[in-house]
Amino acid sequence: MRRAFSETLIRLGHDDPKVIFLTGDLGYQVFDGFREAFPNRYLNVGVAEAQLVNCAAGLALEGWRPLIYSIASFLTGRAFEQIRLALGYHRLPVVVVGAGGGYSYAQSGVTHHAQEDLALMGLIPGLTVTCPGGPDEISALLPQLTRLDGPSYLRVGRFGEPAVPGSAPILVGQGRLVCPGDRVAFLTTGAAVIPATQAAERLAADGRATAVCHFHTLRPFDERLLAEVAGRADILIVAEDHGLRGGLRDVVSRWLVTAAHHAVRSRLRLIGVGPGETLILGNPSLDEVMRRCGLTPEALTETGREAWSTLPNR
Amino acid sequence: MSFNAQLPSISPAKAAPDVAALRLAARRVRATCIQMAHDAKHGHLKSALSCIDILVALYGGFLSVTPDHPRDPGRDRLLFSKGHAVTALYAVQALYGYIPPAELDDYCRTGHRLPDHPCRHALPLLEMSSGSLGYGLGIGTGMMHAMMLDGKPGRVVAVLSDGECNEGSVWEAAMFAAAHSQNRLLAIIDYNGLQAVGRSAELMAPTEIAEKFQGFGWEARTIDGNDLEHVTATLADVPFSSDRPSALIARTRSGAGVSFMENDLAWHYRAPSAEDLANALAELGVAPLHRERRP
Repeated sequence: MRRAFSETLIRLGHDDPKVIFLTGDLGYQVFDGFREAFPNRYLNVGVAEAQLVNCAAGLALEGWRPLIYSIASFLTGRAFEQIRLALGYHRLPVVVVGAGGGYSYAQSGVTHHAQEDLALMGLIPGLTVTCPGGPDEISALLPQLTRLDGPSYLRVGRFGEPAVPGSAPILVGQGRLVCPGDRVAFLTTGAAVIPATQAAERLAADGRATAVCHFHTLRPFDERLLAEVAGRADILIVAEDHGLRGGLRDVVSRWLVTAAHHAVRSRLRLIGVGPGETLILGNPSLDEVMRRCGLTPEALTETGREAWSTLPNR
Repeated sequence: MSFNAQLPSISPAKAAPDVAALRLAARRVRATCIQMAHDAKHGHLKSALSCIDILVALYGGFLSVTPDHPRDPGRDRLLFSKGHAVTALYAVQALYGYIPPAELDDYCRTGHRLPDHPCRHALPLLEMSSGSLGYGLGIGTGMMHAMMLDGKPGRVVAVLSDGECNEGSVWEAAMFAAAHSQNRLLAIIDYNGLQAVGRSAELMAPTEIAEKFQGFGWEARTIDGNDLEHVTATLADVPFSSDRPSALIARTRSGAGVSFMENDLAWHYRAPSAEDLANALAELGVAPLHRERRP
């Protein structure tokens, strides 16, 4: 995803002379291409997240289109008030880019785990929140974010993730039906779409057509697609590498209790898969974190099988 | 002749300031702030009164900006970072034609343009909204960077409080400005010595604030920020350096200009009573801008 981000950034630099990139002293060699092409539009403000945001706000007030880049946990946590006030309150078109979303930096420890970034950004009125599942979604969403009138958040993972399967268009605010299915559906955001799709393939081989519905945008949220999937399903399995509160599970729960039709509400069961409220200690690898969270293809297949086994006959 | 006719109009930036006229203007602004705080039963008077001479000197000659074109790309930008002292800003903007003086009666009234902390959505001529401390300098560095990239000629002036300099974001911004040689950036610290519930000297390390800025790569000067002669003369020297940002440490008196409000923590939050108002106006000897006569 990070490669896709840096390559898309160069493209954006060519397309829009007002795009400017600010980093909080991160991205060693990742942005050399942009820096060489646009030396005046690459700015390292140092390890200073508050300044990163405020400086971008000043640039945006003068008509520039800043993208600001740091590690997701640092930027969204430490500079939360700056994002809330300088960007949210002022309604400025700045793209906040959180690198190493979820547990991309698994072995760097709790300081580097971003399991609250979506929740924090989702608290700010008017801020578009995106959490792409693969490099293709980064490439497609980023140019759309830089054209918005207000602030946005883009969670970027690590290097080398596969593309998100399926051919549904990648548009801010629109979910994607990655894999069709009926009575059980995986709902995903971010990197969880990949293991969920692999699990759905295994379940399909068992004759259990399990949908995968991917939401790379949490705000604005595509309730229409959710309603469509929920209308066919009996069990929704939300899979995400984000804490219990403020992620996709919260968004779906809120929809379920406030917007879903009574018949849907009384029929549906919601299962959450993710880190819950645990701190991931003990220096585990990313694969190990995914195992602990139940986010591997094997674990999700098992969760899917259990879900299917509990279904009443229709 | 109305009182307003005697007040200085926007003068060209380079004309020598008429200090006597500015002093009269500052007295009138003080009376205005106290009237506003009395009427609204609210207002951070101690913080507003201390910075009035600075704001009068800025709008009364230093800043290259006019009420007819408050968004001119070549203008100087004023970032009022100590948003709690907003009565001083509104009153000075009314004095110099940015806000109709009669509108000052709307201060703190629901749904009007002049809320308790300056809001750019309500009053679009503001460069920024403020209220939480530690923003103006950082936003100012971003604006300055944009102006350097765009080849715009203006300067950026951020007015901060001394208490605001407790915030780490101020020093993050200070580092950035010096690293980028932002010599058209001016930070004015309204050093009135009193914070909300404590004294600045006790809360910050016992080094001079000018030394702190110098240590961060700025050129700093310390002046009496309630002496308009001193303020205008020092502003005429801006930039203090050809390759560094400028910091003006304005040593001021909290509650300046009204004897019974000076150097008293109580006036950070307290609203003046009818008696306080009458005593203050009598001492100042002028009417508020939005009142034709002294009561």
